Formats: sequence, C-alpha cells, structure tokens
Amino acid sequence: MPDRLADERAFIGGLVGARAAAWDVAGELPADLLHTMGAKGLLCAQVPASYGGLGLSSRENGELTAYVGSLCSSLRSIMTSQGIVAWTIQRFGDREQRRTFLAELTGGKLTAVGFSEPGAGSDLAAMQTRIKADGDGFVIDGEKKWVTGTRYADFVLIIARHGDGEGAAAAIVPVDAPGVHIELVPSPMGCRAAGHANIRLDNVRLPATHVLGGGGQPLSMLFTTALSYGRVSIAWGCAGILQACLAAATRHARHRQQGGVALAEHQLVRAHLAELLIAEQVALRACEHASGQWDSAAPDMGLMAVLAKHVSAGHAARSAATAVQLLGSAGAEDGHVVARAFRDAKLMELIEGSNEICQLILADHALSLTD
Amino acid sequence: MTVHGDNTPLTAETLQKEILGFLTERIKTDVELDQDLFASGVVSSMFAMQLVVHLEEAYDIAIVGADLKLDNFRTVVGMSSLVLRLKGDTEAAGNA
Repeated sequence: MPDRLADERAFIGGLVGARAAAWDVAGELPADLLHTMGAKGLLCAQVPASYGGLGLSSRENGELTAYVGSLCSSLRSIMTSQGIVAWTIQRFGDREQRRTFLAELTGGKLTAVGFSEPGAGSDLAAMQTRIKADGDGFVIDGEKKWVTGTRYADFVLIIARHGDGEGAAAAIVPVDAPGVHIELVPSPMGCRAAGHANIRLDNVRLPATHVLGGGGQPLSMLFTTALSYGRVSIAWGCAGILQACLAAATRHARHRQQGGVALAEHQLVRAHLAELLIAEQVALRACEHASGQWDSAAPDMGLMAVLAKHVSAGHAARSAATAVQLLGSAGAEDGHVVARAFRDAKLMELIEGSNEICQLILADHALSLTD
Repeated sequence: MTVHGDNTPLTAETLQKEILGFLTERIKTDVELDQDLFASGVVSSMFAMQLVVHLEEAYDIAIVGADLKLDNFRTVVGMSSLVLRLKGDTEAAGNA
C-alpha cells in the first residue's frame, strides 16, 4: 500500500528533529513551527479540501496524529485542540463561519478550546460560563481552566451556556479582545510545552458572526460532538506514545548488557517487551475501529471514540511506566522520550473524559444492550 | 443505513413513527410524540450526537449550523419537521 502521508511525515519529522526533549524541559514549543504546520493544514488535517484543508479521513489523520504523538505529545496536543475547533466549526458553524474560520485554521492561525471550569470538570453540565445576546452582538462572561494551546492561540473557542435558557453556544473569542485575561498554568506535569492556560472572560463583547450557528444548541450535543473528535485524536496520540515506548524499550533491551548478556536475554525483561507489543497493537486496533466508525458515520462513532480513548490512554500510561522501569537510569532524565511518555500518558487518563467518566459511559452502553 | 424506502412518500406521520421506533429501540423507554426528550433526561449526552448521525444517515440529509438548535431535537415532532424541511431543501436544490 503506498503511504499517502509519507511526505507529511517527513516534513514534520524534519521540523521536530531531536528537539522534543528540549521543548519539554523549557515548557515551550517554537511558535513559528506551529504556524508553519498550521499553514500546511497539518494541525487539523480532516478539514475538507473545499474549505482549504487536506481532507484526510479520520483513519489517515489518526495515523498522522500517532506519528506526531510518538515524537512529542505537546505538539500532538496542539493538533488535538486545533482539530476539535475545526470539527466544531464544520459541524455547528453556518456557511459563512465555516468558510471564514476554517480558512484561518488551515492558513496558519492557531486556536484552542475551553470546556472545563473551576466547578465543572467531568461534570460539564455544571458549566457557568454564559453567552448572552447584547445589541447586535453577544457578551460572554465566565472562566475556563487548563485550556490546552492557549499560549499560542490567535483565538479560542469557548463552550458556554446560551442566554437564560438551557441551551448552549460555542463562541470564537480572539485572545486580544478586551476583557480576556489569560494566565499560563505555571508548571504542568505532562505535555509541558502544550501552552495550557486559565482564561477569565470579563464582559467580553463579540460580533454576532462569532457565535457558531447563532447558538442555542443542546449542551450535550455540543460538547459530545466536540469531545468525540478529541477522544479519537488522543487515542491515536497515545498509540504514538506506545510506539515510542516500544521502540525505546526494545532498542535498550538489545544493546544494554547486564550480567554479561544483553537485557533482552533476561526472561523477566522479555515479558515486559511482550506486554509492550500487545499494548501497542491493542491500542492501534481500537483506534482503527473508532476511526472506521467515524469515517462511515456509524451511529456508535461517539461510543467507539470513548472506548478507543480509554483503551489507548490506559495502555499508554501503564506501558510508559514499564518502559521507564526497563530503561532504568537511562530513561530517568526529564525530557527523555520514556520520561515524557510517563508524564504525558498519565494526563491522557484525565482529559477529554477521565478513566472513570469513560467507564460510566461504557457501562451505560453495556446496560443498554440487555432488556 | 437507510431505514426509509425510496418508494413510500415521506410524510410527517411515517417519519414520526420511524423516529419513535429508533428511540424506543435505542433507549428502551416509551416516549410520547411531544415529550421533551432533553428536559425529561431521556437523551444522554452520548445519545444526543447519535440522534444527529442517525437522522443524517437514515434520510440522506446534512444537519449543520443553525439547524442543530435544541428546539429541532426537543421532541419527535420537532425532529420530523426538521427532516421534512431538509429533505425539501435537498430536492429543491436537486431540481434546480
């Protein structure tokens, strides 16, 4: 099978080189690299060609995401955020909004998406941020926590309640709009260079054209649609973490001598290598299935996104711990690929639906299969 | 998956029956035509998105932008009106 994405992979590989470790230690990605990737449509590669995107399928974009995830989870996180915003605009924006904002997102502009609030993490229904009609535009008030990519963003997509009713809205908020206050998360445990920030919105005025579809969507539909894209993206990103851990562990086991023989000759080490391979393959299969359902618009695409995210993040977290164990002091320095994997994968068990939230959704589904 | 055959005319009545059938099968609860599905907690967050994907696939329509408003999905009657309107738009565009 010809690799459709070989050029994209080579391009990104060239940009990243061996710099991911230094980005992790410094806690910052080079902004020019993000703009360069963005302008080639690589940060949200599923945007259709008719809107200026690369028009990749979920499966193709997934493979690209896994590749980036194997290099640098901070950079992969930026892809996840940019992709969520593009998908949400594609789905909920009107014709003009799709045309305008998708062109920006495939033209080098960067974005981020705000869901969580101080009092609404897993329970997004407790969301307090509100968008209200005001004159011929809107006003938005509220607070968002841990918004990935804010540091680099030109605008952020804020998910909020709409008016005084029960509906919701998604608004495009330029970071330089009056009343937008951004405070970087000082030292995140994982994906350290992903530019997480807390955002306070203080009476921020927006033109009507910045509220997707005019607002008034069901809150559950809005955040599930947005999160589903994020879950598939994270699942593939974690498959990339697994690939990186497997590669580092097998290389080390082959070349490092212990007791006069290569580590790989020790049976306890081989057991670890087998489990790493199983984890990587199981995660990949779950990702491929979720993307297959996405590409065929199957009604259970949201559910399979949850399943893939849960499987992949869990395996990545456990396998990263195994890889650190195998590499010992060789992998224990911050910035090393397995040290990063260890911290980054743990965060992936928390975001876009914690392990426990994923389990609740999957259990609901299991129960619905019986009378 | 297209649940609706091409030969039978698509009326509000047949649509409502098909949507009710889909809901009953998926959520294993009897719902009324005018029951507020969101207020009564019948629709989980995961199911809200499934509904859109199902309607798009079953009736070969695209539901995007302002059509994704809560009021269009609140009741079975609302969803059937939305599908009828979007089917009308598609056919009008096809004939143009």
